[in-house]
Amino acid sequence: MITDPFEALGLPARPDLPDEQVRAAWRAIASATHPDRADGGDLARYTAASAAYAELRTPWGRSEAYADLMGQAALAAEPVTGPLPAVPADDALPDGLPRHPLAAVREFPARIRRGRLRRLLLRAVIAAALALVVLQLIPGTAAAPADVAGLILWFGLTARRDLAPPPER
Amino acid sequence: MSVWSWLKLTVCLWLLGKMIRAAGWLLLAAIALAAWPVTLVAAVGYGAAWLRGWPPVRLRRSAAWALLPAGAWLAIQGARLRTWRPVALAPVHTWACGWSQLAAVDLTRTFLLLAPFAVPAGLALAGLAWAWRIYAITTGLGGITASAPITFDARQWRRQVRTAKGLAEAPGAVPLLDRGGRIPVGGTIRAIGHRWRPVFTIPAAACARHMVVVGATGSGKTNLMIRLWTGWFTATLAQARAGTGHRPLLIVLDCKGGRDARVKADRTRRLLYGAGARRVAIWPDEARLSLWDLPAADLAVLLYQMIDSGTGAAAYYADVMQAVLTLAVTAPGGPPLSTAGFLDRLDARWLQAAWDPARYPAEAARVHAAARQLPDIQLRFATLLGRLGPALDGPGTLADADAWYCILEGTREPSVAETQAMALTELAAHAATDRDAEPRAMLLAADDYSAVSGRVPLSNLYERGRSLGIGVQVSAQSWQGLGASEDERYRIAGTADGGIFVLHVPYPDPLVAAAGHRRVLETAHKLIGRAWGDEGTTREQRAWTADPDLVRRLEVGQACYIQRGAATFVQVARPRPSPLTLPPPPAAPDPAPRVPEPRHEPATTAWPPPPPSRLDDIFGPGASR
Repeated sequence: MITDPFEALGLPARPDLPDEQVRAAWRAIASATHPDRADGGDLARYTAASAAYAELRTPWGRSEAYADLMGQAALAAEPVTGPLPAVPADDALPDGLPRHPLAAVREFPARIRRGRLRRLLLRAVIAAALALVVLQLIPGTAAAPADVAGLILWFGLTARRDLAPPPER
Repeated sequence: MSVWSWLKLTVCLWLLGKMIRAAGWLLLAAIALAAWPVTLVAAVGYGAAWLRGWPPVRLRRSAAWALLPAGAWLAIQGARLRTWRPVALAPVHTWACGWSQLAAVDLTRTFLLLAPFAVPAGLALAGLAWAWRIYAITTGLGGITASAPITFDARQWRRQVRTAKGLAEAPGAVPLLDRGGRIPVGGTIRAIGHRWRPVFTIPAAACARHMVVVGATGSGKTNLMIRLWTGWFTATLAQARAGTGHRPLLIVLDCKGGRDARVKADRTRRLLYGAGARRVAIWPDEARLSLWDLPAADLAVLLYQMIDSGTGAAAYYADVMQAVLTLAVTAPGGPPLSTAGFLDRLDARWLQAAWDPARYPAEAARVHAAARQLPDIQLRFATLLGRLGPALDGPGTLADADAWYCILEGTREPSVAETQAMALTELAAHAATDRDAEPRAMLLAADDYSAVSGRVPLSNLYERGRSLGIGVQVSAQSWQGLGASEDERYRIAGTADGGIFVLHVPYPDPLVAAAGHRRVLETAHKLIGRAWGDEGTTREQRAWTADPDLVRRLEVGQACYIQRGAATFVQVARPRPSPLTLPPPPAAPDPAPRVPEPRHEPATTAWPPPPPSRLDDIFGPGASR
């Protein structure tokens, strides 16, 4: 039985794999081994891959799994180990910042999903409800857009803390 | 004047005073009622500040933000009306019209129409009122009872802690690194002298200098230190990626060891992986380092320092040992490459063969003089290096990983741990000064260094780090743990230009003294019976900037950061990496493991040398002539 989730998905054991790569690996194995296939698939492999995907789905899960692997390797190899492989000259970002200008926009849905969703929704509902009251009671006045702008400002300033931090932080 | 007249005059004066005061209050109430939208916002702001323990600056900043909608309103009205006079009078007109209809809906409409101005004005007013309240209470001018300042402070502390805890638990409030490249530590409870911000941050450069963390067991010291390490690592990695700095190299010396150290190492490793580290090595459990990579001269000095040498009459043997070590390590052909190779050199025959009398007569004479002591010296080093184990016998260098977590068994084997600490700091110094290696931004963090500071005092480590440009962070469980003598402790605390974090400790007085004192006003009231009278005096006093009693009462996870005569109390947030993935790395094959080239001991003449077949080989034909 495969205990290494990276191996189960046919991925290199690295903590910094992107989500897309993990998902693609799982989809490839799932489509080839699903029990609903005409040839009956491979239930054992499908189950192992699904379990591995559940573990490696998030970056945090991947770093945990990687750390576990390192720990197991240390136990198996104790007390003497050889030199570590050299660290690559540069890391995830090849030519340094700035990142893609739209990266922050693309990450935003994930930051909402991984943040405190209920609190965010509550804040959004309060801001929207108050904005509706403003638009209902004082439509067409100069104060209406100013009040709505104030509500949006309040929402933006207070909702930041409920979002998950961006990946580089 | 009769008694009756005096009594009437006194009563009249008292009544007059009360009437003036009542008139003043009535006037204030009338103004508050007239400007009811502003009063409403001010009351809400004041109440929020009171309930949540906010400082007045928070209200003032909110008022500043609220000026943006006011600006939007002005821009819209200006565009509509074109002239400034109707624009300026529009809020007055709205306010005046609002009094004609007092139904709830109409009042709401009036408030919404005036909100762009009422909100900033109300918040600013609330900030002023709250600042006055704090001033009045802390100076003794306000409050009903004499204990008001004490109860007010205790209550506000509880509320500030509650607010800071709430902030520390929010996922996006305290990331590992903020947008300005600073390291967030946690929610600010109270700032005295420092600029108040909801989330307390320190510049990453503070970690690159010298920092002290003092906290008793279970006070949250580990959490704080791991946060600082990961924050520094993330900041330095971001700078390296931006091309404005070197790649980080974090070296943690966990000087207590034991099972807890392994758990801590594992947690640190997971967090560093989440922060973008590629290799995190745990020494000596999973990786080795080579002591023998040090330059020959440094290696000779280090080996000499690793062995206890006495004073007085024993100094003679110490000198002999130093001479022998220098001869063994600096022998022609290069320094030793392993423990076995080094021990082989502590042999008279090897040294005599290496230091050819013809070419090195002085060294050969020294070898000859020290020949009698060589077996003893070899025995001592064989014992020492045997106790140290294989973890310093290589192969491996600090440059092989992004972070090293070194576990020293300072509790179980203090003498071995002291020697290991000495060797590891020497390797760190070598990594910092090695011109052939890639330059790295280094942070050397020593957790509970006092457990191994017998051989290398902490102050030496500090001064060494300063001269090499390495950031040094040390932690101890108490003031006494910082150094062997009071002088050394003060030297360490006094040179911590990166700041001092004090967590719960029973004796924080010398540490909080680094924050100094601040000037406060103290008012004494004259008591009439059991009540305060109208008379009293106010005088200037000195109070602790960081109150030691407050530090003694800190709960788990609360810390006081002291720097430059100011202090900030903070609720440390548990470090968590972003749950979002990093951008994908460039498509490249996995780097092949780099295995160091096998090295061989320098060849020496075999001993005993093979007998010459003919004497002519030595003297040569006619050599004696």
